[in-house]
Amino acid sequence: MQWHYAKSGVQLGPVEEAELRAKLDSGELSVSDLVWREGMGDWLPAGKVRELFPIPPLPTGIPKTPPLPGGPDIPNYLWQSIVVTILCCWPFGIPAIIYAAKVDGLKNRGDIVGAKAASASAKTWCIVAACVSGGAILLWWIIAILFAVPFCVLQPR
Amino acid sequence: MQGNRAGVVVLGGLVLVGAAWLLALRGPDGLAWFPGCLFHRFTGLNCPGCGMTRAACATLHGRIGEAFRFNPVGMILLPLASFGVGLEVIGWVRGRVLPFRLNVGRVGTWVIVGVVIGFWVLRNLPWWPFTLLAPP
Repeated sequence: MQWHYAKSGVQLGPVEEAELRAKLDSGELSVSDLVWREGMGDWLPAGKVRELFPIPPLPTGIPKTPPLPGGPDIPNYLWQSIVVTILCCWPFGIPAIIYAAKVDGLKNRGDIVGAKAASASAKTWCIVAACVSGGAILLWWIIAILFAVPFCVLQPR
Repeated sequence: MQGNRAGVVVLGGLVLVGAAWLLALRGPDGLAWFPGCLFHRFTGLNCPGCGMTRAACATLHGRIGEAFRFNPVGMILLPLASFGVGLEVIGWVRGRVLPFRLNVGRVGTWVIVGVVIGFWVLRNLPWWPFTLLAPP
């Protein structure tokens, strides 16, 4: 197929379709430059010619729910929750795991707001679990010291 | 900022190594300053993490079988979870998420939730074979 094209009012060509495409790809010919081939009624801007720029099919129906494979990064804090549950030995780890478990499901359903909220809750419960067990150890020390010091002072061996 | 994060991780690692060294040296009963599981202390029941200190001590001495006897689920989940957290920590230090994540997926996550909660209930049942799940 031989194409004629026009640049700044000067008619050029004919060239092979492959060459025309190469010119479009390289930018030598822009989408607004007029092109014509035998069989076309009138000159058209290259961008309007179906053969050169096929129109992408319009999305029909409902867009698929997981539109972005990556999507926004929402950490689920699952492993952190498991670590605090096992190590801190405290029931606060369980709500952390439950929230962590919900994050990916919500994200897959496209509920980004819900997923972020679940992620934030899981993080909060992880921190609470870690702080409570840390606090418990600290409290244990304080009590131990408060009791141990008077004993050592009052009953020296 | 990134330097601070690396510092926090190194400090945390040192605390962990120190704690492990003390645990290996003194044994789980030798740590007077460690209150143990408060849930167990107040209720007498075992939580999903109960026995983990003893299991860690046994592991540090190379007695893996004994470690599994103290907390079988913890001995599987904790190394897995530590690996997962390790990846997250590396990403956190570098300021961006690593391309590779330990992701068990939605179903896997719920299976883990079920296993942990189920383990919590089952290990408190007073009959064989559930008594095998409680630390001896």
